[in-house]
Amino acid sequence: MKPQPFEFLCRAYALSLHAYPRAFRARFGRDMQQVFRDSCRAATRTHAVPQFLFMSIKDLLTTSLRERLAARRDSPAKPLWSALLHHPAFIWMFAIFASLFVSSTVVRAYVIPTGSMERSLRIGDHMLVDRLHSHAVDVHRGDMITFLYPDDRRQTYIKRVIGVPGDRIRLSEKQVIRNGRRLIEPYAQHIASTSNEYRDNFPAPPGPEVFERGRDMLAHHVDAGEVVVPADSYFVLGDNRDESWDSRYWGFVPRENLVGKPWIVFWSYDATTKDMATWNWAHFADLAGHFFTKTRWSRTMLVLRNQPAEEVAP
Amino acid sequence: MPSPSHPPTTQDLLPLTPPVFHILLALADEERHGYGIMQEVARQTGDELQLGPGTLYGCIKRMLAAGLIEESEERPDPGLDDERRRYYRMKPLGERTLRAEAQRLSAAVSAAKSKRILVGGKA
Repeated sequence: MKPQPFEFLCRAYALSLHAYPRAFRARFGRDMQQVFRDSCRAATRTHAVPQFLFMSIKDLLTTSLRERLAARRDSPAKPLWSALLHHPAFIWMFAIFASLFVSSTVVRAYVIPTGSMERSLRIGDHMLVDRLHSHAVDVHRGDMITFLYPDDRRQTYIKRVIGVPGDRIRLSEKQVIRNGRRLIEPYAQHIASTSNEYRDNFPAPPGPEVFERGRDMLAHHVDAGEVVVPADSYFVLGDNRDESWDSRYWGFVPRENLVGKPWIVFWSYDATTKDMATWNWAHFADLAGHFFTKTRWSRTMLVLRNQPAEEVAP
Repeated sequence: MPSPSHPPTTQDLLPLTPPVFHILLALADEERHGYGIMQEVARQTGDELQLGPGTLYGCIKRMLAAGLIEESEERPDPGLDDERRRYYRMKPLGERTLRAEAQRLSAAVSAAKSKRILVGGKA
């Protein structure tokens, strides 16, 4: 696999444009990204990437301060400290302190050890999760959420919200039918060649793989062949629909179990479930030897956005 | 640069900062997009003046406000890729200001030569 630091740099630059005032960014942001990409490409050709990066960082730090001060001159109501506090140098300093002191309450880093959300999330994705209790955030259909697994609260799971309270859910030939409308889900993947009645035409008579909470859901929350999501609960499925251990098997996620919403993949490394689940020397050696080649640059610094499903008549 | 409350004149704008002077010079013969300006400025100065995106568009913002340049159309550059790029062109005030600045610099160079700071040349 060929590393793609080029793409990564462009994405990092796009994010760092937030150092500039909003109006400036809205007017020139797209053009600045183009210029950055063009000159980054030229620098790659002439092997002058370090000089180019040095110049770009200097440019970013000085001109963002200049534009912030200029924006403040135009609207003197904003205090000087507000202009300075948004400068990237302060933001980085603040970010480092923040990560030392409040990381466990505001955002938290997680790594994906299994493939139940493939292709949306890959094994080895390291991401930051925006924790919900730090500020009230609504949970919408289509959001990815992290939550404490109801049967063992020591484990944190990540799945996609399919049903919110009041929704009626069933699966027909692997297609989700929600409130009588079929979902077109761009994020879902189906890889199994064989069919499974319970998994693909949910709800159906459960097999031994269905846990107690799942059986409870089937016994008390099924009406006319559809699961009805009760108050303060969510029905979640993995995007790797055929190999996901989700609400079909262990029931609803209670709202109190919510941890947060994944926000950004800050590093993605091509590794195995075993390496991600437990620390081992072989993985450490692999990391030292293959950091640049096995880092998935196209996924590094990837902002995760809500992907709503399209609803069509069944 | 003065505030846009009254229309600036050439004299208000002098002397120009090196980036503004070279951006005007780059637009003197044809309209260009941001990256085109950057390349032309690097060529004019023998890679001495490398404009970063923030410097470039900060200058463009102020030059638009002062009426030195204006936005032209948005179109792809056949020499790069098929993405649309915003082009800029010179306005009459820009031409007058560029000429005045070039004369000012030329007078300064002549003065330096008359004191034998610079060797050679016509002065």
